[in-house]
Amino acid sequence: MNTKELTKGFFKENPTFIIMLGMCPTLGVTTQVVNALGMGAGVLFVLFFSNVLIAALKNVIPNSVRIPCYIVIIASFVTIVEMVLHAFVPSIYDALGVYLPLIVVNCIILGRAEAFANKNTVGDSALDAIGMGLGFTMSLSLIALIREVFGKGTITLFAIGNWNGVITIPGLYEWPVRVVSLAAGALLLMGYLKAFFQWFSENRKAKGTAK
Amino acid sequence: MKKYLKTALILCAICGAAALLLAVVNSLTAPKIAAYEEEQKQAVLGAVSNGEAIGDFHSVSGVSNITGYYGLGKSSFILMLSTTGYGGEITLAAAYDTNGKLTAAKVLSDSETPGLGKKSEESWYMDKFLGKSSNMPTKKTELSTEDAQAISGASVTFTGISKALLAGSSYVTSVLKGGKN
Repeated sequence: MNTKELTKGFFKENPTFIIMLGMCPTLGVTTQVVNALGMGAGVLFVLFFSNVLIAALKNVIPNSVRIPCYIVIIASFVTIVEMVLHAFVPSIYDALGVYLPLIVVNCIILGRAEAFANKNTVGDSALDAIGMGLGFTMSLSLIALIREVFGKGTITLFAIGNWNGVITIPGLYEWPVRVVSLAAGALLLMGYLKAFFQWFSENRKAKGTAK
Repeated sequence: MKKYLKTALILCAICGAAALLLAVVNSLTAPKIAAYEEEQKQAVLGAVSNGEAIGDFHSVSGVSNITGYYGLGKSSFILMLSTTGYGGEITLAAAYDTNGKLTAAKVLSDSETPGLGKKSEESWYMDKFLGKSSNMPTKKTELSTEDAQAISGASVTFTGISKALLAGSSYVTSVLKGGKN
């Protein structure tokens, strides 16, 4: 086991900003912080189980039909998540809506199966899944936080009891920069954040070689 | 030949195992999901009925947007409407008086985009249709600036819902009128 497999998902190989995987949900669900957290949790769950199972079955699955096998495994876990959420936590199920079944075609999950899980041990694949899943959740939450705060002047979290889960930011709520919460704003923001992460990781690399 | 057979068998076994797993999870969750959906439907019906007694359900087929109706009180109706939004089917419950005037409406289920079409689930969304019958706004230009801004980015949802509500109103005036439950 190698802890590097766990930490690489946050900065060095961040799935959203460095590898640029799973762009559709990234741009689609990041209108509210709560959606980003829900989507991140769903992806983390599916990624963990599919990575572990694919790593365990890597010697059994014939090379010629590996992609159909991965899709069957991934789709099964997504359907399980969907049914369990619908039955036990319907509020999150309703909030995620159409993005939940779309986890099946999220490139991060198939990408990690193809690029990592089918070449590595079960333990490393589990760590890779946790790191990538958390990295994805972190990136999504960051984009959603910026978009919601500037675009709507609110921060929407899970409703608990009598609290409806919405934090209102005075000033921005009355005069939001509406473009940030629309699709164009998502793309612009994505570009700036990508540039920042690129600068950050190159800076770190340069410092590493100087030592 | 043997190689292909082996490949097919392995793929078949994986699919079989996945199907079995899903069947087990489904048998555990299906009753809870059905109970939740029934509960939601009753809550929506209760919300649009405005305290009046809800009669028996009559299913309707062959009329676009309308799947059935309940009698409501003496001369009103709750129509179950179905329409197409941006993310697929939207179902609504809408209450009309005998003249086809909308008195209450609520979205029952949808797959719209959170933050855009999902706004149709909010209580204020239907306000712009209330009290309207054949003059139901179906275009963005027929709305006030404020209402038009509120639905901006989700015109497909708006068009779907407004057309269904309009169809419901004309169904009440042309078919159901006369107050028989």
